[in-house]
Amino acid sequence: MNRNWIKLIFASVLEVFWVIGLAHSHDLWTWIVTIIALIISNYLMITVGQVLPAGTVYAVFVGLGTAGTVISEILFFGESFKWEKIVLILLLLIGIVGLKLVTANKPKKGAES
Amino acid sequence: MAWLTLILAGLLEAFGVAMINQLQVKRNWKTIVLLVTGFGASLLLLGYSLRFLPLGTAYAIWTGIGVVGGTLIGMVFYGESRDWRSLFFIALVLCAVVGLKLVS
Repeated sequence: MNRNWIKLIFASVLEVFWVIGLAHSHDLWTWIVTIIALIISNYLMITVGQVLPAGTVYAVFVGLGTAGTVISEILFFGESFKWEKIVLILLLLIGIVGLKLVTANKPKKGAES
Repeated sequence: MAWLTLILAGLLEAFGVAMINQLQVKRNWKTIVLLVTGFGASLLLLGYSLRFLPLGTAYAIWTGIGVVGGTLIGMVFYGESRDWRSLFFIALVLCAVVGLKLVS
């Protein structure tokens, strides 16, 4: 597996961390860790997006981020598992991924002019 | 209230993405300040909403509105293509957001 894909998976894990941090930070240290995770996560995602197709990179990143947050809220924060919610989040994800794949992987028109 | 701030957070995220586009057109301080303010305000509002709404739902809606908003701004102001597939996926995201509001 390519080094860049591993970087991207790591970025998605950090993404889940900072989202949890935004919801549950309660003192200076937890806020600092949250902000550091946010910065590194986005930095990694952007640098990978410069090497691999940006639309695909973003789609994978958001997909893993969403899966991660949904799984953590059920496993660690006592949210109940509801089918209708999971299905709607999946539909939303299909929408985002589809949108990113049809728009962002094409070279921009007139970029060279 | 938490739903309102969440939607606003998504819109500000889209605004931040639009400012990234704008930077590629013209690089100036005003755009950079707007970009940082947009993303900053977006995160603050998302943080507020996350205190009340389930993590996965809030995160998915925030990114969804961000991506849809960013794409629409791109279509209207930066001449990105408006093919039917993009419009279909935008509709799908919006329906899912409404659905999530209804089931929660």
